[in-house]
Amino acid sequence: MSSDHQAGDVPPLTEDIAPGTATDPPVESDDAATVTVDGTAVDLPAGSTLLDAVEAVENGTGTDADGEGNGTAETVPALCQYGREDIGPRSTCRTCMVETDSEGLVPACSHPAEDGAVVRTDAAAAVEARDVNLDLVLSNHNLRCTTCGKNGRCDLQDAAIENDVEEPRYGVLDDRDAYEPIDDTSSFIQIDRNKCILCNRCVEACNDVQVEGVLRMEGSGSDTRIGFQNGAATMEDSTCVSCGHCATVCPTGSLVEKGIEDATTIQIPGFTQKNSVGKSYERDGSPKGPMTPKKAAERTERDASGEAERGRESAKESASDERRDWP
Amino acid sequence: MDHDSLADRRAVIRVPAGHDAFADATTDAAAAGDETATADEDVTVARVGPTGIGALDPLVTATADGETAFYADPGVDLTSEVAADLADGTVGATGDPLTVVDHDPDAATLPVPEDTALGVGLRRLLRGAGWHRPTDPGDHAAAGGFADAGLEDVVTAADGLVGRGWGDWCHDEDVSPTLDRARDAFGDVAVVVNAHGTAADALLAESVPFSVLEGADLLATALDAERVVLYLSEADETARERIETAAERYSDPETAFEVVAGPAVHRATEPTMALEAIEGNHRLEARLRRPGELPVLNGAPALVHTARTVAHLFERMRAGASGNDPTDHGDTRFVTVTGDVETPATVELPEREALETALEAVSPTDGCKAAAVGGRFGGLTDSLDVSVGSDALAEAGLGTDGVVEILGEDRCLVEFAGRRAQLAADTNCGRCVPCREGATQLTELLRDIYDGDYDEDGIAELLRVMDDSSVCAFGVEAARPARTAIDAFDGEFEAHAEGRCPAGACFEPPEVPQ
Repeated sequence: MSSDHQAGDVPPLTEDIAPGTATDPPVESDDAATVTVDGTAVDLPAGSTLLDAVEAVENGTGTDADGEGNGTAETVPALCQYGREDIGPRSTCRTCMVETDSEGLVPACSHPAEDGAVVRTDAAAAVEARDVNLDLVLSNHNLRCTTCGKNGRCDLQDAAIENDVEEPRYGVLDDRDAYEPIDDTSSFIQIDRNKCILCNRCVEACNDVQVEGVLRMEGSGSDTRIGFQNGAATMEDSTCVSCGHCATVCPTGSLVEKGIEDATTIQIPGFTQKNSVGKSYERDGSPKGPMTPKKAAERTERDASGEAERGRESAKESASDERRDWP
Repeated sequence: MDHDSLADRRAVIRVPAGHDAFADATTDAAAAGDETATADEDVTVARVGPTGIGALDPLVTATADGETAFYADPGVDLTSEVAADLADGTVGATGDPLTVVDHDPDAATLPVPEDTALGVGLRRLLRGAGWHRPTDPGDHAAAGGFADAGLEDVVTAADGLVGRGWGDWCHDEDVSPTLDRARDAFGDVAVVVNAHGTAADALLAESVPFSVLEGADLLATALDAERVVLYLSEADETARERIETAAERYSDPETAFEVVAGPAVHRATEPTMALEAIEGNHRLEARLRRPGELPVLNGAPALVHTARTVAHLFERMRAGASGNDPTDHGDTRFVTVTGDVETPATVELPEREALETALEAVSPTDGCKAAAVGGRFGGLTDSLDVSVGSDALAEAGLGTDGVVEILGEDRCLVEFAGRRAQLAADTNCGRCVPCREGATQLTELLRDIYDGDYDEDGIAELLRVMDDSSVCAFGVEAARPARTAIDAFDGEFEAHAEGRCPAGACFEPPEVPQ
């Protein structure tokens, strides 16, 4: 089929990739450092963050005054952190806040491990920030775990259990009218944005590791979501090559491989992963050509959608103060 | 530098730039008033920028022989007569001028009529506003502009200078440490002047753009900067055009000025999002900051200061050049008064002056029950007896972005706090949970009060976490209206939980059976 391929049918140049995210500075330390976490000292190589120090102590590395490690005083979920393959830290969930002697509360995942730093995981303000932020993540998450394919292997579920969350302060997303339809149009990957915590791992896997330039972060405020760089509404119309890396890195049941999307669903007759949300986009059934649509041609469409987004936003902002009813 | 200045002209009528009808009327009348004279020779018509006092706009002034008559909104016909009189050598005889001021015949700065709103505070950075042709380098030079300076002069002048506004990387902090860091990258530095989104910055750009450009050029000279970028909002078209024209006319800048427009959204003022906008990212979200390091613009270490900050730097240099100690000059603060007032005003106050002084420049439309101090997410207070310095404002829990929004007697503060929380939820960048989800939940908690559920501790907890753990200043500031409203007006919140709105704004009156 290679003769059918046209010049435009090639992966995008990296400079054309527009993930919609900010260019963060490097957050790792320049030099090796000794950091004390909850009284336990730990030696770290250059290129470490305070979260590396916290995790080292959690895992029993490091020594306290008695010459042995006692772990950390409190659990630090660091929910959005992936920590492999140069993905992250995104530092979005802020469930890794710790208190430092010199700089007060900082996000451990994106703070360099400076020599001599003294960290407390059990400072009241740090515990409060982690707990409230975890509940804030849950407040916008479809918490129907019993019909979720990631039930039992979900980072958010694990964090909630480890933190003894029984009843999140702000409730959970449980309004079917507010649900976004499940995007079931791809043959290989399903998206349920109602479970997305916007950790950005998928966007980085897609752009920085696979260099495919398919996924992006889009929108702002409560409209922030994972979308497609070619402006497509569904996975089927995107330039996805179905590599699956996004599903591999997704911490929740938001991006899952087809065929196992309800693998861990508790079997209740008539109650399925899809009808728990009630709405989905399905394949249109039209035959597909080889692999993906032409990417280069769709760049212009993407640029136009970026411009349109700017226009929409300033209109939204100018109308925002007046358009809502209060209370 | 050799420049032509208005100070050398015999008679000058100053009309607001952008009001072409005024300029046309004056030109014709000045020529017709004395048939032998042409407008060019006898009466100079100068198009000048706004003074910041909205109530006087459009302001027309007629100047000859050390006398200036001020006319607030005189209309085209009267302006025409004033110009004709001026051609005959008469000042202030026509119409009913607001006031007539005697001054040095060669005055290079606005002769301030102390008995008007122009006399509120002092006019130091604004001394050329309403007097200089904004894009004319001659007027700026005549008022002490274009001083020679080297690195050490700039370092001395910057000592103790505090960054102005939330668009400044050094917001409320001494700019010197960042300048030191930038010196380590001498030759590779980018200087970014953030004039996005704040009224005082736009006013400086519109009326005295050379003060802003010279402040930026001083930094560029000191650091041998690679780039100098002036960043403004797409909404502030006039300010952008003036800065662009002034930049083109700026004689021999150290580094050519680039003017970049960012989207007209509030968050685009935040320094890291400003850098994202300048780099051309189609979507704006906050960047992480690495402690103790400068941000970067396209890989180059960048200084990001507001127009106010660099204009202050210029002012300190100018003071130094005229023999004063630049660090002992006494900086000023800009205060824009807006909200429930007839016309907003921007005034310049000495740092120890109380905020309430700024109210003398406006007419509240419905009294002043409270004020939101510090911009969009300002702090609410019922007392403006607080000095305008950043330390005093911070101590009072108020914002330091130089905006006072007056809330009239019938305004409900629960509603105000609720709407600002909603605005924060609608317009944040979406990056971090405490701001994105926090603002949404804050709005819900404030709505719950109307149903009798006033969870004061829960609200306080959420506000602390937004303040403590948001990625950028947007989330930190978004917590301020609700926090200060509860601190200062707790009784109103309690009343709403009991089903009453003391301001009578929130609840529908019960239906009376017929």
